[in-house]
Amino acid sequence: MVDVLNNVIYGFGVALQPLHLMYCFFGVLIGTLVGVLPGLGPAAAIALLLPTTFKFTPVAATIMLAGIYYGAMYGGSTTSILVNIPGEAASVVTCLDGYQMARKGRAGPALGIAAFGSFIAGTIAVIALTFVGPVLADLALAFGPPEYFSLMIVGIMVLTYLSGGSMIKALMMAGIGVMLSGVGMDTISGQYRFTFDLPSLLDGVGVVPVAMGLFGISEVLLNLETEMKRDILATKVKNIFPSLKDWSLSIWSIIRGSILGFFLGIIPGGGAVIASFASYAIEKKMSKHPEEFGKGAIQGVAGPEAANNAGAGGSFIPLLTLGIPANPVMAILLGALMIHGLQPGPLLMNDVPDLFWGTIVSMYIGNGMLLVLNLPLIPLWIKVLKVPYYLLYPLILLFCLIGAYSLENNSDHMLIMLIFGILGFLMKKFSYDGAPMILALVLGQKLETSLRRSLIMSHGDFSTFITRPISLAFLIIALALLIIPIITQRRKLSQLEEG
Amino acid sequence: MGRSDIISGAFWFAISAFSGYLSYDLGLGVLRQPGPGFFFFWTSIVTAVLSLTVIVRGFKMEAEKVAAEPVIRIANVLKIVLVLAALFCYAMLVEQIGFIILTFLLFVFLLSVIEKKSWTAAISIGLVVTVLAYLLFETALQSQLPKGLLEFLRF
Repeated sequence: MVDVLNNVIYGFGVALQPLHLMYCFFGVLIGTLVGVLPGLGPAAAIALLLPTTFKFTPVAATIMLAGIYYGAMYGGSTTSILVNIPGEAASVVTCLDGYQMARKGRAGPALGIAAFGSFIAGTIAVIALTFVGPVLADLALAFGPPEYFSLMIVGIMVLTYLSGGSMIKALMMAGIGVMLSGVGMDTISGQYRFTFDLPSLLDGVGVVPVAMGLFGISEVLLNLETEMKRDILATKVKNIFPSLKDWSLSIWSIIRGSILGFFLGIIPGGGAVIASFASYAIEKKMSKHPEEFGKGAIQGVAGPEAANNAGAGGSFIPLLTLGIPANPVMAILLGALMIHGLQPGPLLMNDVPDLFWGTIVSMYIGNGMLLVLNLPLIPLWIKVLKVPYYLLYPLILLFCLIGAYSLENNSDHMLIMLIFGILGFLMKKFSYDGAPMILALVLGQKLETSLRRSLIMSHGDFSTFITRPISLAFLIIALALLIIPIITQRRKLSQLEEG
Repeated sequence: MGRSDIISGAFWFAISAFSGYLSYDLGLGVLRQPGPGFFFFWTSIVTAVLSLTVIVRGFKMEAEKVAAEPVIRIANVLKIVLVLAALFCYAMLVEQIGFIILTFLLFVFLLSVIEKKSWTAAISIGLVVTVLAYLLFETALQSQLPKGLLEFLRF
């Protein structure tokens, strides 16, 4: 306990340095902007702003990139409530009741409770992160290659299980991501693989150009198909501070959403999106008036908004303590840390305490900044929403191009990004999800190394994965995630046949 | 989804088969000492089986359908193709022509040709964006963007 407090005080010392405060501010500001703008999610934003952080210190870069992520969670609610278009995926649920509240002239309290709920949840998540992080990092020190292999399999399985469409397709995308991760040098034998003698492939396929292509370029191409129409409510946003009645209705939703979101955020493959959906379902089930949900119930805004922010905070835990990203955004952040010469994992806390504790404490500060930023700046965000798409998309494209080039001052990365942009566009048309591919691309090399090391250690005996209890537990979870959809589908089929 | 699943499944099957062949070529090693191709060979096998499942499911769905549907629907194809062509040209020429000239040309092309805005608007927005992007990336963030034809100016 004393250790944790000492570390938090040390973290404040790092985060309160003027330069770090400035980067934290820029991060949350850009994040809110990204959250407000539909068609540009936090994954693409972090990917395309990553090269701008190359001149920063690793601590400053991580503080800013983390700020973009949780800032986007805040900003996403604004578009959901005012335009009925979610700024990013985690705010989809907020549209249901948030927009209805706005239509009834209660846009102010909806935006207010979203901001306060997000602040409370973000703070709860950061406090939990402070205590859970070190415990998990200690536990992770006992992990050997078999445990890491099984944990990463769980991560990929959770993401494919939660993936919107067909699980077979999601698994296939994870497989393709794993194969892509094999491009470049084999870390064990030193041999080059799948490079076709192309110099630009010698270092492997970068996560950042692939993510910018799959999430940034493909999104622009999809939006080019249709004219984006936005019906911004003409009503003036007033009474942003929720009334006592609003608070009494929402406070438990916020607390439940925070706890649920935090734990769903920790699970690899989970995160903010699933947390917001789960919170909405729980709030509706627990409400005395479930019929009001979808018609402007304030709990339907407070719960999911709290959950997605707590989920965003929670998802930092597996990244910072185990080196395993919980979702595509964390996958890109992992890539960013590696570019800055850091290896996230259980040793990060001891090796670079300023980064670990500085980033965590900057999130406390960032949450405060967001509260101050979000409420008075709502009129500005509404103005930003009115920027026509014909101006916005060339700017997004230019940022993607410059971002890809700046990675290594090499135009080949631009071409890789564009190829994955086309692939991402077609994947969406053919109902394939890009998220498992990105996660598998990041985890692929570690997955392979863990498997090969485990087999070398056990002299080729596969039972090493099931004789070690932690590894066995992970594999049981992975298997359950694979079997559950098959059972539920069979049940549905037999019910249909009986019907 | 029928036909689109058959086509996409076949595409991923081809990719998996090719990757499996390359992995096999790299050497699978033995279980005690897995080779560089071991993991990717088995991943390719799994992905190939999954893609075959998608193909079979596609055929089943196709058989149940009464009327044929297009494989995919893409609206504004010409606009998308032109934007992509512009982006590929940018990527391929940026090192020879330079960031400043190409960024300006890209904006003028996108705004005037694709979005049908007036030349005056396209040129002025192009100029403003190019200058701001230069100040942000080159001056503030010290990115080393290619100067190309303007190399001689040494700014």
